[in-house]
Amino acid sequence: MICILTLVVFGVLAIFSASHRPLAKEAFECVFLRLTLRKCRTGLDTKVKSSIVGRIMGKSPFAAKITYKYFEVFSWVLVILMVASLAYSVYGGYNYSLYGNCYGPEEINAFCIYNALEGETFTELQTKVSGELEKPTADDDPYLGKDDAKVEIIEFGCYSCPYSRQAQSTVNEIVQKYGNQIKLVFRDFPIDTIHSRASLHAEAANCALEQDKFWEYHKKLFTEHELCTSAEENHLEHIVRLAQETGLNMKQFSSCLKERKYKEEVKTDFNDGIKAGVHGTPTFFINGRTIIGPKPIRAFEKIIDEELSK
Amino acid sequence: MNAEKIRKDFPILSKGVIYLDNACQTLRPVQVIDKINEYYNDYPVCGGRSYHKLSKRVDEEVTNARRIIQKFFNAKKVQEIIFTRNTTEGINLIANSLSLQEGDIVLISDKEHNSNLIPWQILNSKGIKHEIFEFGNIEDFKSKLNSSVKLVSTVQTSNLDGTSQPVEEMIKLAHANGSLVLLDGAQSAPHKPVDVQKLDVDFFSCSGHKMTGPSGTGILYGKYSLLEKLKPFLVGGDTVEETTYEKCKFLPPPEKFEAGLQNYAGIMGLGEAVKYLSKIGMKNIIAHEIELNKRITEKLGNHEKIEIIGGLNAEERGGIFSFNIKNMDPHEVAIILDNSANIAVRSGAHCCHSWFNKHNLKGSVRASLYCYNTEEDVDKFVEEIEKVLLLC
Ligand SMILES: Cc1ncc(COP(=O)(O)O)c(C=O)c1O
Repeated sequence: MICILTLVVFGVLAIFSASHRPLAKEAFECVFLRLTLRKCRTGLDTKVKSSIVGRIMGKSPFAAKITYKYFEVFSWVLVILMVASLAYSVYGGYNYSLYGNCYGPEEINAFCIYNALEGETFTELQTKVSGELEKPTADDDPYLGKDDAKVEIIEFGCYSCPYSRQAQSTVNEIVQKYGNQIKLVFRDFPIDTIHSRASLHAEAANCALEQDKFWEYHKKLFTEHELCTSAEENHLEHIVRLAQETGLNMKQFSSCLKERKYKEEVKTDFNDGIKAGVHGTPTFFINGRTIIGPKPIRAFEKIIDEELSK
Repeated sequence: MNAEKIRKDFPILSKGVIYLDNACQTLRPVQVIDKINEYYNDYPVCGGRSYHKLSKRVDEEVTNARRIIQKFFNAKKVQEIIFTRNTTEGINLIANSLSLQEGDIVLISDKEHNSNLIPWQILNSKGIKHEIFEFGNIEDFKSKLNSSVKLVSTVQTSNLDGTSQPVEEMIKLAHANGSLVLLDGAQSAPHKPVDVQKLDVDFFSCSGHKMTGPSGTGILYGKYSLLEKLKPFLVGGDTVEETTYEKCKFLPPPEKFEAGLQNYAGIMGLGEAVKYLSKIGMKNIIAHEIELNKRITEKLGNHEKIEIIGGLNAEERGGIFSFNIKNMDPHEVAIILDNSANIAVRSGAHCCHSWFNKHNLKGSVRASLYCYNTEEDVDKFVEEIEKVLLLC
């Protein structure tokens, strides 16, 4: 058994280091002999076992004794674990290519190593929710699509968070594709602790909503590059410029912003998010089923289509 | 003899290794390493062939090494010392040069190293047989001697367990029978005094690398009158006085046996090694080894799980403690020692497969001592073996 492990370990090492190749070859020979029910002639199993036991004995004779005695058992367990984890990785890879996560359609949001590989993740907020999670509602927040559509998507987003911004192109595609079959609601979840001006952006968007230009302004906020990069003191400038470009009544907009008219509104959104268990942006609730992070469109389509066909 | 002081001459010992594989090769003192470097730095040229100063220096150094070795073994003439690559080559030289005839018998013991078994097996195809007597058993030895036995080729001290044969008596018996004697001295020359005249041995082969000399160096001693009659084994440059297209005239011994350009650095290093050992004194070395071996044997000898090869008496085993732990593979033990406490021992059949096969053993673990080993070394070895004993 240990030969199989050795083969895998040294096989991988051998790819990078020539000095491990003879050992990998020896392990291969050994495995081959064992598979054909012959004895491992090279004595590799003895070598590996004794080296390990020897090293442990240098530290603890007792641990060495246990290792020596149950070595075959340990190697079996390790091989089984290895095979299992290999199978699991393959399964995860399969799921990832299909649903954008490792675990299959039911758990879209669990942490998946492959996400990290593609640089996908979400902006996380450390929160603790006490008591039961509350299902979020559309509240009085702006939406696209049809009010009583069969599928309601509630997005908790933050204008200044890179992952929310990254997800917008997918959101746009979804809106285009499904049109009035869905209702897409945007609710604010400004993570001020990470992005200091997040609330300011959210409040500005609400000031635009007041003038019925929410979605135009929303789009500009999400696509304006400088929003995330410019210095603190220039910030207001950008917000105001974008408002001008959107054609807002600037006097009304400025006083709305100054008064912080929608401070409470934004806070309500945020708190609703927390109550719903949101701990990072973007978080989507599709008829109550969650997707966290900028997932590939396949993941959204899968859930939306399922909900539509119910 | 002061082992602590000797240790200082061996650079590698300061690196924390406990070296107990001296029967395979010993370590080298700086004196030997310096001598080798001296050759390569100061006169790295060929000897014997050229007439420039550098070449003369090489000749002088080689002769000097030969003299040191002659004295060490108390050989009558300096020309009786032939440089080889190792014990094995010396034995092969005799096997090929001795002009044995069909029907002749070579007597060997049952505890020979492969190097003193295979050369005789090969001769079987020419109708030359080899017969086996029990190692150390004089009666058995006597009973095997007959007029067909032209050569007794046997080991003086076994590398397998360190025990020695009463070779002086055996040589007398062999000579009385009209047989020549070749001793495999690979394990005796490095550890105890060997006086070839006193032994009256005809040929004696040993290895430099087992006696603090450079790797791949060896010595073959032969009585001059016999060497003169032997035909050369390897032939070519440096073995002849002159040649025509048809014939050649060989040089006298030792040159006629030293074909081709020699391992000058090795030979000089070997001379230095023998000088080094002479200074310590061979009697002191064997006494020191036995002292340490007794210490190991006292502590481990009576353990129920330990089977010593060669008996409980450390004095009979010289510097070797060869053993098996019940239910454990000897390689396992060796690798564990190496990994747990950096102790180097040898495991396996030590090139004496024939003996292990006969005794149905896979091999043994062999700790072999030398002048630089200390009580701390053997105590650590014992301590680790005691831990290994708890494993199963
Ligand atoms: C008794 C004996 N004979 C012969 C040899 C062979 O020596 P070498 O390999 O130096 O020729 C050895 C080496 O282990 C030995 O111990």
